[in-house]
Amino acid sequence: MTAATVSPLGLCLVLARKDLRLERRAGEALLVTAPFGATALLLAPLAVGTDTPLLRELGPALYWLVVLLFGVLVTLRASAVDGPAQVAMLRLAGVGARVRLAGRTLANGVLLLGFQLLLAPVAVLLYDPDLTGWPWLLPVFVLVAAGLAVLGALADALAAGLAGRTALGPLLVAPLAVPLLIGATGVLQAARYGRPPWPWLLLLATVDLVAALLAAWCAPHLEDRT
Amino acid sequence: MPQIGKAAPAYRRVVAGILGSPGGSAEVARLEDVTVAVHRTPVLHGLDLRLAAGEVLGVLGANGSGKTTLLQVLATLVAPSAGRGQVLGSELGTPGTATARRRIALVGHVPALYGPLTLAENLRFVARLSGRDEQAANGALAAVGLGGAARRRAESCSQGMQRRADLARVLLAEPSLLLLDEVHAGLDRDAVPLVDAVVARVRARGGAAVLVSHEPDRLVGLVDRLVRIVDGRAEPVGDFP
Amino acid sequence: MTAPPTASPGAASIGPVFGRRLPIAAGVAGVVGLIAAMVSPPDFVQGELVRLMYIHVPAAWTAYLSFAVTLGASIGWLWRRRPGLDRMAAASAEVGVFFTGLAIALGSIWGKPTWGVWWTWDARLVTTALLFFVYLGYLALRRAIPDPLVRARRSAVFGVAAFAQVPLVHFSVLWWRTLHQPPTVLRPGDPSIDHTMLAALLLNLVAFTLLWALLVRARARIAAAQDRIDEAEPTRPLAGDAVSAPRLEASDV
Repeated sequence: MTAATVSPLGLCLVLARKDLRLERRAGEALLVTAPFGATALLLAPLAVGTDTPLLRELGPALYWLVVLLFGVLVTLRASAVDGPAQVAMLRLAGVGARVRLAGRTLANGVLLLGFQLLLAPVAVLLYDPDLTGWPWLLPVFVLVAAGLAVLGALADALAAGLAGRTALGPLLVAPLAVPLLIGATGVLQAARYGRPPWPWLLLLATVDLVAALLAAWCAPHLEDRT
Repeated sequence: MPQIGKAAPAYRRVVAGILGSPGGSAEVARLEDVTVAVHRTPVLHGLDLRLAAGEVLGVLGANGSGKTTLLQVLATLVAPSAGRGQVLGSELGTPGTATARRRIALVGHVPALYGPLTLAENLRFVARLSGRDEQAANGALAAVGLGGAARRRAESCSQGMQRRADLARVLLAEPSLLLLDEVHAGLDRDAVPLVDAVVARVRARGGAAVLVSHEPDRLVGLVDRLVRIVDGRAEPVGDFP
Repeated sequence: MTAPPTASPGAASIGPVFGRRLPIAAGVAGVVGLIAAMVSPPDFVQGELVRLMYIHVPAAWTAYLSFAVTLGASIGWLWRRRPGLDRMAAASAEVGVFFTGLAIALGSIWGKPTWGVWWTWDARLVTTALLFFVYLGYLALRRAIPDPLVRARRSAVFGVAAFAQVPLVHFSVLWWRTLHQPPTVLRPGDPSIDHTMLAALLLNLVAFTLLWALLVRARARIAAAQDRIDEAEPTRPLAGDAVSAPRLEASDV
């Protein structure tokens, strides 16, 4: 029985695997939140009306809106909560605040990617949007998942242990996630009108980078009562 | 190495394997005039405590007297709001505690397990965090007599089983400072020697242990010294009350 | 900001909340600003409506000032851990949310007769509205945390993280605007503003800044007094003192 020092990246992967295993058991993100998101996509036309051209126009926007608002719920899912006993155990195992946040972000990112890929065919089916330049969506999926994963993990850490965390989290994240929404919708619009979507991808990448740097900076400050 | 019969519980073999390790003589923890306030209410107030290497300390106290808070301070998880202290050579409230932390194990009154994961998955997770292999996790689980329940989800296990699994975590951590909070709660009679063995193991490695209990009888024969938390301070108790 | 000159523990004397000189200065500046706003000439295009500018622009300015101060105080708290900085950050955010709301409401009232709509998707407007919600979130976070140290720490982190995202939010909204048609309604104000109007605006900016300082200081002083009452209770009992021997015994049953 020999103990080896695990690298921060290794720890991060161990934590993310644990989170994903918990999600597999609970099915909260992909079996509860995703169907809820799909319901929202189904309900929107009932409010807007069956104006097919209008819905085709609105489709991508509604999809990204649902991804943003419901995606926050994915990052704040109850199965991802480490209680005080678990946090104490992790801290005593030498897992620092930054690594914990990174592990949570990684798991969030994977789940959000799955969440987006599950909802995308639903949006295509219901709205029949113009999919010109759809390959550009692939990097957008990854960048939006990453950005939202970081912001969500940060909000989750800020609201950890608080009574109203599931209501507070989305309020903290949603206004800051606006560039992700604008960037994601901008890419498809640009592709449709024959403009290069690079600037929008760059915007998304910048948001991801800034959020990641912020999270790395503030994680140690969130270590309570030390 | 002493001879261990085949029928001997696995944890005895683990203890036997560790006996003979050189023990240090340094002080494991020292708290001086420590005050801790939670939500502005003082819990510990001007507390002094010393813990020598190889020592096992019992802590008594009424409900709400601050026993758990004392363990959290010793675990470096809560920094004193006043006073100072050292644990395993690291000054409390400084970044240095991060290095000491890996040598501390805390078994709180809520087990640090993930309910939806099986006991084996929980232990493997802990093993991976410290760079150990799955064999070590399985071994620790077998050592606490839960080899047969490895595939059961933690949330479906009884309180006593969860407590045993939490003690298996300590076997993996091999700490120099072991902190046990009401560890006997929920344990059946067969499992009580397990606590003795885990404590003996830490002591044999030159470490120290602190056992918090509100039942002094549980600590008879297990601890070298007793203190009682009264008015936020640790007062020595001469003999078992 | 200086602490009020009262410090006897237990006495809980809170000292003057508003102070003496600042209310007078703010009051005088307010009256002067009001007079300046009334005597300044009406706008060539907007007529009397332009007078809303003398409240709307200073309100928006104090809102941005508030959030910048919250950012500064948050960074300061993380660095020095002084409780006063946490109170300052909170007070400034509270006042900031008020002035943001005021700026948005006044902008809306101004926009209806000028642009024909209550709301338009101007980048500055959208960013201001988003700021309003970000700092509502900041205040909600503060309210949700009972422990003062945890509250100070988490809100300081959010205060910094939120503000750091604001330029990105504004930039993305600005970019998003270029994608759509610019508003076809009339835009308020001319780039070259009349000198009298500029002077009146500056006077009102000073008045609003003084009012802002007065409100933030008063709010921070109230918070400081509350903290002193909480901390300086000489007989604050230990947590364990709240638990006594149970009264119910078997013989009672």
